[in-house]
Amino acid sequence: MTKRLAELLILSGYLILAVLLYRSTASYPVSVQGSTALYVRFLGMALGVFCCLEIFLWFKNRNQATTEKLTIATVPMRFWGLFILLLIYSTALSYLGFYLSSALFLPLAMLLLGAKKPLSIGLTSIGVLLFVYLVFAKLLEVPLPEGSLF
Amino acid sequence: MILQALQALFTPISLFAVFIGTTSGVIVGGMPGLTATMAVALLIPVTFALEPLTGLLLMGGVYCGAMYGGSIPAILLRTPGTPAAVATAMEGYPMTQQGHGGLALKVSVIASFTGGMFSTFILLLIAPILAVFALTFGPPEYFLLAILGLAGIVSMADDENRLVKAIISGLIGLIMAVVGTDPMSGMLRYTMGLTDLFDGIAFMPALIGMFSISQMLELTGAKSIITDKSTITKIKREPLPKGIHKPIVLGSLVGTVVGILPGEGATIAAFMSYNIARRRSKNPKLFGKGNPEGIAAAEAGNNGCVGGSLVPTLTLGIPGNSVAAALLGGLLIHGLIPGPELFTTYGEMTYAFILSLFIANIVFLLLGLFMAPYFARISLTPTSLLIPVVCLFSVLGSYAMNNSILDIFIALICGLVAIILQKTGFSLGALILGLILGPIAETGFAQALIMGHGSYAIFFNRPQALALWGIIFLLLVPPIYQIFKQRKKG
Repeated sequence: MTKRLAELLILSGYLILAVLLYRSTASYPVSVQGSTALYVRFLGMALGVFCCLEIFLWFKNRNQATTEKLTIATVPMRFWGLFILLLIYSTALSYLGFYLSSALFLPLAMLLLGAKKPLSIGLTSIGVLLFVYLVFAKLLEVPLPEGSLF
Repeated sequence: MILQALQALFTPISLFAVFIGTTSGVIVGGMPGLTATMAVALLIPVTFALEPLTGLLLMGGVYCGAMYGGSIPAILLRTPGTPAAVATAMEGYPMTQQGHGGLALKVSVIASFTGGMFSTFILLLIAPILAVFALTFGPPEYFLLAILGLAGIVSMADDENRLVKAIISGLIGLIMAVVGTDPMSGMLRYTMGLTDLFDGIAFMPALIGMFSISQMLELTGAKSIITDKSTITKIKREPLPKGIHKPIVLGSLVGTVVGILPGEGATIAAFMSYNIARRRSKNPKLFGKGNPEGIAAAEAGNNGCVGGSLVPTLTLGIPGNSVAAALLGGLLIHGLIPGPELFTTYGEMTYAFILSLFIANIVFLLLGLFMAPYFARISLTPTSLLIPVVCLFSVLGSYAMNNSILDIFIALICGLVAIILQKTGFSLGALILGLILGPIAETGFAQALIMGHGSYAIFFNRPQALALWGIIFLLLVPPIYQIFKQRKKG
């Protein structure tokens, strides 16, 4: 997909959002129709107007535009691998708790990103978890995610 | 009174409290998700067992240190430790990538020190007068202040096309900010039945996602943050850039004034200072690409907020921001009721507290200058080890604000969306600005219209409002004129 096409798709999405936002204010209570509903209507209207303007500029400059491709990741395997791992890690926090999930996430992510030395992987993972335990949990008493299984 | 305060302050225990408080503040501020508010609030029960003055000095030190500490990961890892360090990340991280992370840290600590010292002077000298002025601000003025902050969006654009995209990004930020409870009716809006969204989209997870997660995902293709590692060794020898004093002075002034206004935070002060500095800079095109002037203005701005926010807190009992509110709690616990008595009956303690802020600024200045070369070496860490660690702290930071797993997913989604938006030319800075200023703008707008019985004249019939319109006009016209001039040339 080219950058230009991605731009057009995003702008179209915003335009739909603008219309939905504007229409949604009809369900606001009567008491706020002249205050917060008005504000939200204004936002919806402004977004719609500026999206239309940007789409107009998009078509106007169509001939000068380059067909540069939209490259999200330079190394897709690592990029998407890390993102998926982060999603799994975040989900696992609710089940396994912070320490167990992190003890799995850290070395796996390091291996995925090309770390090869088991000693540095092990020491970094243990060091980080120890730091979190001492500073966040013990010293500052910040609540960490707790697992429902363990 | 001042002499007695100095005597109370220059005791080993008091100086130790300031040192410990400031150092802890720098550490807390340097960790995403741990804010100065949280640190001060956590300290309150601890200070209960201490002498009132020692407790106050600890809290003051934490406040000053945390405000500076936020800039360290912002510069080195594009992970703002506190929301107030977002503008710093926008300039600091490109400098780190160019191998000038040490210089960026040096500029940051000097600007933070100057901003902090200036605002403390103002607090010491004219606190009561300024506090009364701040009280004259009502909802219309708060709405206009938000507009003033949003005017900075225009400065983020270089040409007509970017201007429209920056405005769209700002509007998306404002729209994200309406999610949650309606401030007037209490009605739930766009929450999709998720209880975690009842208070709205928390901006810390969004911010961590947009700046930290997105950066870590982008770094997956690189071996280390910087390409030329030899520059890291030159840190100590790099002199401060010429003309850096101007954005520092500007940031200090803006930060102090914004800090004095109740409810306005260091984030807004930093963004406002950054945008004004960008407008006044001789090299505005260098902004966003690693301009030390941007770091100087933003850091002086957010640290200028420290003294400023304490003006209404100490004189009127109205906290200037959330950290000042936590500090107010600490004062009240020790039986210190804000007002004239604080400067008379309890003058010794109050002045010792204010004077301790000067020492706290000196402590973090020394800490920053001495440690900058060591901090900067973080950028040499291989990404295979660094990315998972930063991701873990980003996840933790997103969760810690509201203890919400949903916030982690918000951060992850924001991270991915940020990459796509950035690659298609939309402005992340404008989006975050909209998200931060949205609640102030909406509440101010709605309350003002209720006050004015639906008439828009309320936004124009008060001298403070007119003065704000004047400033907004001055901020908007030159960049728009510049863009259209460029278009004609093109």
